[in-house]
Amino acid sequence: MKILLTGFVLVALTLTGLAMTATTTAPESTPFDVMMSALTHKRCVNCHPSGDRPRQGEDSHTHNFNVQRGIDGHGVAALQCATCHRPENNDFAGVPGAPHWHLAPREMAWEGKTRTEIARQMLDPDRNGGKSLDDIVRHLTEDELVLWAWNPGVDDEGVPREKPPVSKQAYITAVKEWAAAGAPIPQTAD
Amino acid sequence: MPTTFTINNRPVTVDIDPDSPLLWVVRDTLDLKGTKFGCGKAACGACTLHVDGMAVRSCAFPLKYAEGKTITTIEGLAEGDNLHPVQQAWTEMVVPQCGYCQPGFMMATAALLNKIPNPTDDDIDANIVNVCRCATYYRMRKAIHRAAEISGG
Amino acid sequence: MPNPTSSSRRKFLVRATVGVGLLVGTAYCAPIRRKIAERIDGSVQSYDGNTEDPLLWFEITTANRVIFRCPKMEMGQGIFTGLAQIAAEELAVDVTQIDVIPAATDSGPIDKFGTGGSSTTASLWGPLRDLAATMRVMLINEAARQAGVAASTLSAADGVISGGGLSVTYGEVVARAGNWEVPDVPPLKPAKDYRFVGKPVARVDLREKVIGAPIFGMDVSLPGMLYGAIVRPDGLASTFKGADTSAAEGMPGVVRIVTEKDFVGVIATSYVEAENAKRKIVATWKNDRSWDTFDVEAAIRVGKGKAIEIQKEGKAKRMLKDDAPGLITAEYFSPIGAHAQLEPSGAVADVRADGATIHISTQVVDHTRREVAERLGMKEDAIVIQPTYLGGGFGRRLHTPNAMQAAVLSRAVGQPVKCFFTRKEEFQNDTFRPPTHNVLKATLTPDGRIAALSHDISSGDVMYGSPLLPGVLKTLIGADLGAWRGGMIHYHGIPNYRAVSWRVRLPFATSWWRGLGLLANTFAVESFMDELAGHAGKDPVGFRLDHLTDSKEDVRMAKVIAACAERAGYRNDAVDGRAMGFACSTDTGTPCAHVAEVSLQDGRIRVEKVTCVLDPGLVINPDQVRAQCEGSIIMGMSAVLYERMQVKNSSLRPVIYGAYEMALIKDAPREIDVLLLENDDAPGAVGEPPMGPIGAAIANAVYRLTGERIRRMPLEV
Repeated sequence: MKILLTGFVLVALTLTGLAMTATTTAPESTPFDVMMSALTHKRCVNCHPSGDRPRQGEDSHTHNFNVQRGIDGHGVAALQCATCHRPENNDFAGVPGAPHWHLAPREMAWEGKTRTEIARQMLDPDRNGGKSLDDIVRHLTEDELVLWAWNPGVDDEGVPREKPPVSKQAYITAVKEWAAAGAPIPQTAD
Repeated sequence: MPTTFTINNRPVTVDIDPDSPLLWVVRDTLDLKGTKFGCGKAACGACTLHVDGMAVRSCAFPLKYAEGKTITTIEGLAEGDNLHPVQQAWTEMVVPQCGYCQPGFMMATAALLNKIPNPTDDDIDANIVNVCRCATYYRMRKAIHRAAEISGG
Repeated sequence: MPNPTSSSRRKFLVRATVGVGLLVGTAYCAPIRRKIAERIDGSVQSYDGNTEDPLLWFEITTANRVIFRCPKMEMGQGIFTGLAQIAAEELAVDVTQIDVIPAATDSGPIDKFGTGGSSTTASLWGPLRDLAATMRVMLINEAARQAGVAASTLSAADGVISGGGLSVTYGEVVARAGNWEVPDVPPLKPAKDYRFVGKPVARVDLREKVIGAPIFGMDVSLPGMLYGAIVRPDGLASTFKGADTSAAEGMPGVVRIVTEKDFVGVIATSYVEAENAKRKIVATWKNDRSWDTFDVEAAIRVGKGKAIEIQKEGKAKRMLKDDAPGLITAEYFSPIGAHAQLEPSGAVADVRADGATIHISTQVVDHTRREVAERLGMKEDAIVIQPTYLGGGFGRRLHTPNAMQAAVLSRAVGQPVKCFFTRKEEFQNDTFRPPTHNVLKATLTPDGRIAALSHDISSGDVMYGSPLLPGVLKTLIGADLGAWRGGMIHYHGIPNYRAVSWRVRLPFATSWWRGLGLLANTFAVESFMDELAGHAGKDPVGFRLDHLTDSKEDVRMAKVIAACAERAGYRNDAVDGRAMGFACSTDTGTPCAHVAEVSLQDGRIRVEKVTCVLDPGLVINPDQVRAQCEGSIIMGMSAVLYERMQVKNSSLRPVIYGAYEMALIKDAPREIDVLLLENDDAPGAVGEPPMGPIGAAIANAVYRLTGERIRRMPLEV
């Protein structure tokens, strides 16, 4: 009987744990954590490089074929991003795509930065293209290129690209909650 | 659903699945074989053609995006019997060996010269990234400079 | 053009690399086997096919053009141009009057060996001139007969026969010709009278390649043609066990799904539809065992597999035991290399009840025909192979199973079918350049000369798996001729030397890659020579010259070495962040030397300049020989610096350009200086020999720049 009860409690706890995971927000994850777990994922950071070369792939290697930023993040004269990347994924060819596919400007480089550094940068109008908090929220939750991370298509062998560790809805909710709370940036080191 | 566009100054309408890569529409539906298949994954550049003057890798360009656009392939680079400066330079320098990748390179080069009439060697390095296995790169570089010269760049 | 109804038999010289008498009884005779090995290594494969009927090779049109049906295939190496130049001399036409076309098996001469081994120009130099000269005499004789004059009163120039007031074009003669008499071969033109041979004639295929004409196998289109796609395994050494095709059956455009015992394929009304349907087929494969990268590298080790001594002079084995005093030893490695030519393998097959025509980029027309005939259960002469220009060969098209597979699909639907590899399939079903492990050992004399030198080469089969190697030769030689190409010691002044080949079977196909073992083996030998020179305290160029004799071959090599060092201004010290490295090799009779000048940029080796000296015998077209040098150098450099295939989780990877890193225009040296040594011999090998020295030249330069010896390809600092 005791064993049965223990077993029942364990199962119940497990189910609760699973239920909590299913909402993808464990009690200890703040909206900031949820948002940042997405924004620091390779699907985002690959195109927020610190230098003038995008990264690509699950291993974030430097983009093949010497692909470069160019003057405005859209590539160079005869090798624009749009030379290969279209407004939507091309699963037949394995080439990812989203509207206005291009590199985030250098001021929005995230590669090698901590979550707090990225957040501060995001909120700084001198480095975020003059965006207000509302603008930032709109960009983070509605921009098709940003949201591409949750619809990243398949690679050249038809293998689906890895998505960020939180669902798109959880991310969007987190961004809005974070902004509504005044966009707090935690002081803890990360 | 038909797609209508202009190719090499000729208007065409094709009724093919709009998700088909433009490469196969060009090669098989329109029987223009100059644009080549090398990888189908936008990696090698053999399928390069121009869409509204911009270099595009047609193996990764669905037909639907061609609607209303002006497409130029290698067959349309020359004007009648007059070869394009890039083709003239390629001829002068005797660049091709097997020749399979060359149309893609010529289209990429023509697109480059449209934007940068007198490219430096560094410009060439950054812009021309197609793959040539015969490795005709040495002459190609000279031909690109020569093409710029012929164009008056 | 009327068929010849009478032809006199004449004998053309038959040149054989191995005489019949030598074949008998040599299977167990090591010294003779080594002699054969040396002979094969140092000479070019002779032409194997009909060289007696000029009408098979040349067709004169009434428009006075010469159609030259060429049995060797044009894959960029420029042979259509060079052979047209040669033919033009003896045909007495301008080279621009000749249209070279790839010979189909039902209408032109058939080359039983295939295009490769840098043998085309050298092997056809004699036969082609004879054929063209004979054709000219036939035309003159026929013109004389038609005009009722003596042939001795007539002469030919630029496709026109004239003399004694008569002037008639070849085309006009042919239009009125009846029976042809094939005369004896006339005397050939002296070299001093050449108009085309030795000149930088523009490539005959230049315009087509600049305007994007549909000249490749992939470009062939036939009425009613459908598109096929065949399912291929991801894993190594996989056997087809069946497939679930239900999801593909109803897909748009699907005409038929064909399941054979060895493959399953889909036929559809377009390429895209065929590919989409193919992706829905679930095939079952059986794999023998699991191979990973570790296994492959462990398998290719000197000491494993069967050893055959391919070269022996003196007592090297005895002198280089592990306990020999002052023993210097080094080992070198090279990876699996892919061909990665831009046009994927494939074919267009048109199978009918009574025969088939296959349109295909192939290097082995005769072998392709045999394979298709066998598979279809038809006689060989019911199969016509129509070859095309190749979008890259390099040894890739010595194996053409696509022809057979396309034929099976075509037969299933009774319509022509085009069927090509995807790029992934091209990478995974390649017949690779095999990985190598090279061990070199030497001892020096007190005065800094090599006392003994040995070279052990372990590699996968290059020719064993090849349909090209006659069975007899396989048994005879024992070792794999291709794998040890470039591995024999060519410094005949060394008193004791030996080379040993260790052959290992691998679970994937290895075969001819441009130069075969030449690049990797020369990388090892010439890096080691550089190291030995250092141990001996000698200049690396002088050190090499010290070990050459006054034999004809060695004198030729010495000239090339000296000319290259001088032309490059070779120096041992690094200056302004740039350093030079020297290397040389001789391949199928053509010696070559390189000086590579390198720098380091952002941690990457950059080849700034290469000086190349080549002695290819008689130069038919200096511009195109130069082009072959330029291409060989950069292609070799690409393999040496960037390229590597690996086995991961029992699967060959990578499977896409980019991931399989290759040289781009930004990586190619901006300066390549080629010097061709003047020589009035016959033309020799050109397509592959210039690649030999590049690996060691770069590695030796890197040593002088960084002090580090890199002994593994691809080189990483």
